[in-house]
Amino acid sequence: MFESIKFQNFKALRDTTLPLSRFTLIIGPNGSGKSTALNAFLAMRQPAARNVNQLRTAGVNEEQPVVLAAKWTEPQNDFLVTVQWAKTGVQQLSSPGRQDNPRKALNGARMFSLDAGAIALPVQLQPQIELLPNGTNLAGVLDRLRDQNPERFESLNKELMRWIPEFDKILFETPGPGQRALALRTREGQYTIKAVDLSQGTLIAIALLTIGYLPYPPTIVCLEEPDHGLHPRLLRDVRDALYRLAYPEGSGEKREPVQVIATTHNPYFLDLFRDHPDEIVLAEKVGLESKFSRLSDRKDLDEILGDAPLSEVWYSGVLGGVPAGT
Amino acid sequence: MNVAYYAESPADEAALKILTEAILGRQTEPVIHVGLRYRSWPTVREALRSVFLQLHYGTVAEGFVLVVDSNGSPSHSPTHEQPNARDPQCRLCQLRRIVEEAQQQARPRPHQAPLKIAIGLAVPAIEAWLLCGADPHVSEATWVSGLNEGHTPYTKASLKNQLYGTTHPSLPIETEAMVAAASRLAQNLEGLTNLFPGGFGTLQSSLKSW
Repeated sequence: MFESIKFQNFKALRDTTLPLSRFTLIIGPNGSGKSTALNAFLAMRQPAARNVNQLRTAGVNEEQPVVLAAKWTEPQNDFLVTVQWAKTGVQQLSSPGRQDNPRKALNGARMFSLDAGAIALPVQLQPQIELLPNGTNLAGVLDRLRDQNPERFESLNKELMRWIPEFDKILFETPGPGQRALALRTREGQYTIKAVDLSQGTLIAIALLTIGYLPYPPTIVCLEEPDHGLHPRLLRDVRDALYRLAYPEGSGEKREPVQVIATTHNPYFLDLFRDHPDEIVLAEKVGLESKFSRLSDRKDLDEILGDAPLSEVWYSGVLGGVPAGT
Repeated sequence: MNVAYYAESPADEAALKILTEAILGRQTEPVIHVGLRYRSWPTVREALRSVFLQLHYGTVAEGFVLVVDSNGSPSHSPTHEQPNARDPQCRLCQLRRIVEEAQQQARPRPHQAPLKIAIGLAVPAIEAWLLCGADPHVSEATWVSGLNEGHTPYTKASLKNQLYGTTHPSLPIETEAMVAAASRLAQNLEGLTNLFPGGFGTLQSSLKSW
């Protein structure tokens, strides 16, 4: 598991370290580097796809490199993966130790910023179809899951019907040769509702559940606002879908944990993590720079919180992670 | 009997329904088909008056059951039952006060008997009740004496770990474990009454008076 990523001159993250757990929820104002932090894994996975001028913090001397250093920890192996972008080019550095697992984890990292419109699109079937960052290909991924892992598909179907009980089945349509499109069947009347006619929240819910039920999920899942468009009563289920990845044993799964990093602005979603302050990271804007801190590192946290909802205390500003001047 | 349960999750509601029916000795029918939910202690306190009034005026509910976790707050004691002896820090006493104030302000229900109320306090969390008989160290007395000595004999996380086998259970796993434990306890409520006299015993007494 990656224990942290240290950022130097990486966009808004001029000099800070993001502490990571199996599950990490980042909260903070707009523009405080939350999305930038999620993108770090992708930048490290394909460093040559980016150049130093795209990444460097505004106002930083062009002689200074951009550096990302991700610290991997496993029993008897601490390993540091460093990527440096400079005027002279990109350099990848590694500390002594076993690099197979950290490299595998980086290569398997995926970022999602789900978009209902993209999720609803029909897809052209391909053998190794993969869910794209905005949710494109969902119909193909589910079609493949149904064919190759029918029991897992049925479990997903059952779970989705628990989330959204007005439907009772995921259906597939063939809008053109080699194509698949999603639909849901209503419990009452057994009507077929095409994906394009489903609500935004329903489509996001299907995509989130699909990520949670993939037989071979990404090694690292970075998610922008997974609560987006969903009713507050469904947020516990969203948290469960993400915990299914990060803590597979909690859902009866027998697979390696996936490291999950998500962002949110949703106070109701935040409150679901009150018992796990070690999973919450605050992003704080200081001038043009941003800093990260783990909520549980605050020594007086229990005393400060008392009986109050975490979201209200966050909103008040006493924990930080709120926009200036508001 | 039409009973409304106000719970933090469907899992809590399922367990509460089993225990309530065991005490009442009869089946209960849900009143609000989507379930009444609260998110945390402060929110239940803020919404309780509204929930009570809606049940009172707008439903056929005959009974209303509510259980909250005590967390680090004082447990409910028999002394709180004495006239003018309520503890303002005790969550059960606070909830009773809110309901009583709402009852006093409400107009009589047309064509219906007053809503019967039963409130419980799980010390420190409902998982502790459900571990009764499975872990002899978990009880109100152990918790209170630990708090008095300045330490917690166990945590909510450790209770979850014991009951669900993980600190991060999914809702289906939580529901399955809670229903199994509540069904076991429903066969013999005596242990629960003895080990959790303040929080469960009070709920039981209220339900028996219905």
